[in-house]
Amino acid sequence: MRKKKALHYGAQKKPDYTRKQSYRFSRRALLVGGAQAGLFGLLGWRLHQLQILDSSEYRLLSDENRMMMQLVAPARGSIYDRFGTLIAEDKENLRLLVLPAFCKSLPGTLDALSKIVPISGATRDRVMRAARRQSGYYPILIAEGLTWRQFALLNVLAPQLPGMRADRAAYRKYYHSRPMAHLVGYVGMAGKEEVDLDPVMRLPGFRTGRTGVEKTFDRELRGSPGSVKYEVDSRGRVVRELGSKPSSCGRDLVLSIDHHLQTVALDRIKEHRVASVVVLDVVTGGILAMASTPTFDPNDVAFDVNLESWRELSRNPDHPLNNRAIRGQYPPGSTFKVVTALAGLHAGVIDGHETMSCPGGYSVGRKRFRCWKAHGGGIDVHEAIKQSCDTYFYETAKRMGIDHLAMVARHLGLGRTYDCGLPGQSAGIIPDQAWKRANLMEAWYTGETVIAGIGQGFVSSTPLQLAVMSARVATGRAVLPKLIMSPEDKAEPWPLLSLDPAHLEMVRSGMVGVVNEPGGTARRSALEIPNMLMAGKTGTSQVVSFQNEHKLTAYERETHALFIAYAPADAPRYAAACVVEHGGGGSAAAAPVVRDVITEALLRDPAGRPTFVANSDAPPAAVAAAEPVR
Amino acid sequence: MKLLFAESPAPKLNLSKKLLLLNWPFIFLITAIVLVGAASLYSVAGGALDPWASRHVVRFCFGLALLFAVAFSDIRFWLRGAYPFYLAALMLMLLVPFIGVESGGARRWLGYGELSFQPSEMMKITLVLALARYYQWLPPEKIWRPDALLPPVLMITLPILLALAQPDLGTAALFAIIGGGLLFLAGVSWFYFGAVIVGVVVALPHAWEKLHDYQRERVLTFIDPERDPLGSGYHILQSKIAIGSGGFAGKGYMQGTQAQLNFLPEKHTDFIFTMFAEEMGFIGAVVLLALYLLALLFITYMALRCRSIFAKLLAAGVGLTLFAYVFINVAMVTGLVPVVGVPLPLVSYGGTSMLTMIIGLGFVLNAHINRDVTFRRSEVRALW
Repeated sequence: MRKKKALHYGAQKKPDYTRKQSYRFSRRALLVGGAQAGLFGLLGWRLHQLQILDSSEYRLLSDENRMMMQLVAPARGSIYDRFGTLIAEDKENLRLLVLPAFCKSLPGTLDALSKIVPISGATRDRVMRAARRQSGYYPILIAEGLTWRQFALLNVLAPQLPGMRADRAAYRKYYHSRPMAHLVGYVGMAGKEEVDLDPVMRLPGFRTGRTGVEKTFDRELRGSPGSVKYEVDSRGRVVRELGSKPSSCGRDLVLSIDHHLQTVALDRIKEHRVASVVVLDVVTGGILAMASTPTFDPNDVAFDVNLESWRELSRNPDHPLNNRAIRGQYPPGSTFKVVTALAGLHAGVIDGHETMSCPGGYSVGRKRFRCWKAHGGGIDVHEAIKQSCDTYFYETAKRMGIDHLAMVARHLGLGRTYDCGLPGQSAGIIPDQAWKRANLMEAWYTGETVIAGIGQGFVSSTPLQLAVMSARVATGRAVLPKLIMSPEDKAEPWPLLSLDPAHLEMVRSGMVGVVNEPGGTARRSALEIPNMLMAGKTGTSQVVSFQNEHKLTAYERETHALFIAYAPADAPRYAAACVVEHGGGGSAAAAPVVRDVITEALLRDPAGRPTFVANSDAPPAAVAAAEPVR
Repeated sequence: MKLLFAESPAPKLNLSKKLLLLNWPFIFLITAIVLVGAASLYSVAGGALDPWASRHVVRFCFGLALLFAVAFSDIRFWLRGAYPFYLAALMLMLLVPFIGVESGGARRWLGYGELSFQPSEMMKITLVLALARYYQWLPPEKIWRPDALLPPVLMITLPILLALAQPDLGTAALFAIIGGGLLFLAGVSWFYFGAVIVGVVVALPHAWEKLHDYQRERVLTFIDPERDPLGSGYHILQSKIAIGSGGFAGKGYMQGTQAQLNFLPEKHTDFIFTMFAEEMGFIGAVVLLALYLLALLFITYMALRCRSIFAKLLAAGVGLTLFAYVFINVAMVTGLVPVVGVPLPLVSYGGTSMLTMIIGLGFVLNAHINRDVTFRRSEVRALW
């Protein structure tokens, strides 16, 4: 074999294949080694890319992974009356929440929970809807106001139901709730628009003010939410707390209301179907009482809303949710004569000495306007106010014209809303020629001036406006109502009205006469306190014209009863206005109410006693620096 | 003289000589890598020896004994036993689909509980042995012939098919890399490798055309897991976040938030490199890779020093296995290649893979000790 091969190849040397293979292996092994090193270089490049070039991006993602922020709802500020009586505060509320992201299955969790806490179909629907709509990391409220027993049971169950949370939050409790209802208002779940503006609102149990002071001062009362940053593992279980920013409580509010006087006022008007009364401190403008009947209990509305009672409230024909004192617009009737008298004196069309005679009616062109009685002759300003003679004021109004009357009416605070922290005020109407052209596209008629002179026709105003008007007449200053006590405004007196003090004095003496002199329309409502006089003016305003009278019930046909007053007459401190809807004559229905409320005010003298300063207002400098004052 | 030496029996080595011939620096390097693994496992357990770190070290100690046993054994025994071992491993792999234990959607295990083992792990070593044996047998001048290529290709393809059937893509890829690499090192012509590459490039688009849409979707998601960020993409994304957030210096030992807060899957096995890179940063990761690269260089050096092709291929084949493991694992956790489930050798927790790697390294040392041994024709020709 070997021989044959050797022959075949001849003298050629046989190639050493083994050695060749060995060299080839060496070459290729080095090649493979190089390739391996090169591929490790690729891995190094990849690590460089991930860990150095894109590191910050991945670090962010990693933090996002492990951190969870939870907002902490702030405690809402309390509301006090002027003497520090608690009106509204946050109280402990045991709640059941669910975080859908951490639940194994949301329906299953709900089923398990319903064994402890009853869950209605509606609640279940709401929870499922909310779970679909918002991030699974926002807790959804299932039930609140749990009993301690339920709370304890839920906490026992907690390890088996991931995503379930039982916590202790706050709910709003209102004291003296029925008298204060309209003023303080109530809180409710945030509306959809609000939620879109601020994610804090999505926190379950977070309530915002819906009406009243709760609404106006919502920002201040609300405080600012805190947050807790947790480290969580991949299943969302909290590993530890990384840090927290405490929530800061809302500011406390002190109202100028005296809750006792408020309660007395409400009790006094309760006998009427719909009525309201306002008492002002004429010096500061502080609202001491503002009662409106029918009323409601905000505790029924703010927390655990009972659908039945809510329906009843909102469908009641007397609208208990409405604050008549600021929303009710009534023709001021004869109370407006105070304005007409002042305007006439200011315009110079009448003076203190001129007398007119009242035949019981007044003609403009072919139209005849009636006076409520024939007063006979010798009616001057004093007598006209005291006896409420329509004829005198028809003539006065006609002489000066509507524009001047409207100007003085506005000067006395009518026809506008006040920035005193009460939402939903009506402005009322103080008509003039421009107003009629703009709103009714018609020219002004003299007859309309004449009836405006006695506060009928287009004229309308709210009880609060009438109280302000009476305070302005009493003091001669441009008093504005205030509802919130703040330590900053140790107010300088209100600016003087640009009215002649002598004219004001004439009108005031007329108003004193109304209550205290024989022949005065509210003679029967004189104060029973010795040496203390009240000045006032009755009003009885017609609500219907003769065209639609037949369509109305007897109640609706009845006139509104109005009364404005201030006391003491010689050194005014309290002003009041009362409107009894369809109450009949002002002297019979409204004047006794005002007399009783003013009597109570005079005896209690809330304006003369030191007021309460809330804790959160105590260091005024620091608070003022930290929070922008509204 | 030279010929005479080659044909003469190798000098008989006694144990003391073998101990001297042992590559001690290499053993220290391996120990260092294992200790890195133990430290990582200590961190994975949240700063506890239990349940992984301690067992890892204990297993390595047993492994070390095995390493020495394999290293000091007679290389001729392994030369003779290469085919029978290969056949045994093939048989066991064949048995897996019938009596295997299913876990995680794939049948890979034989036996039960603590006594279970993966035949495919055994196959990794025996494949190297069998191929080395084949090329020791094949006269070097016949290596270019196509019919000489047939048996080794068959030897490689059978285990690949069996692995794919399990299904275990990672192992199949490992077999392909080891087999292909050994054929290349043995001296198979470039031409064949070129032909295979061209063939795949040409056939791939046609195969793609034939696939159903859902199959394509599955393949695409496999290649690019981020198409499915909540499914398979989740793990790889979390892994990349962990590695990336480690930055240059790392978050500190036992401070890796991704790992410690369980955002990482299987962090004690396949994703241990991720955790290491998160806690030790770029520096640590590069140092670990450098350790592996150093080990590979050692192995290449040892393979080059051997005289017989059997020893050369044996050492180089184990080197390829180690490389393939490390590369696939790191490339996988950094998102360079799809997730296939390959552990990081010597660092990941797991008995079987540790055992395979230690035995393999034992063969490397064995080849190194017997670097000057050559075989007689008669020794090679006998099947047993």
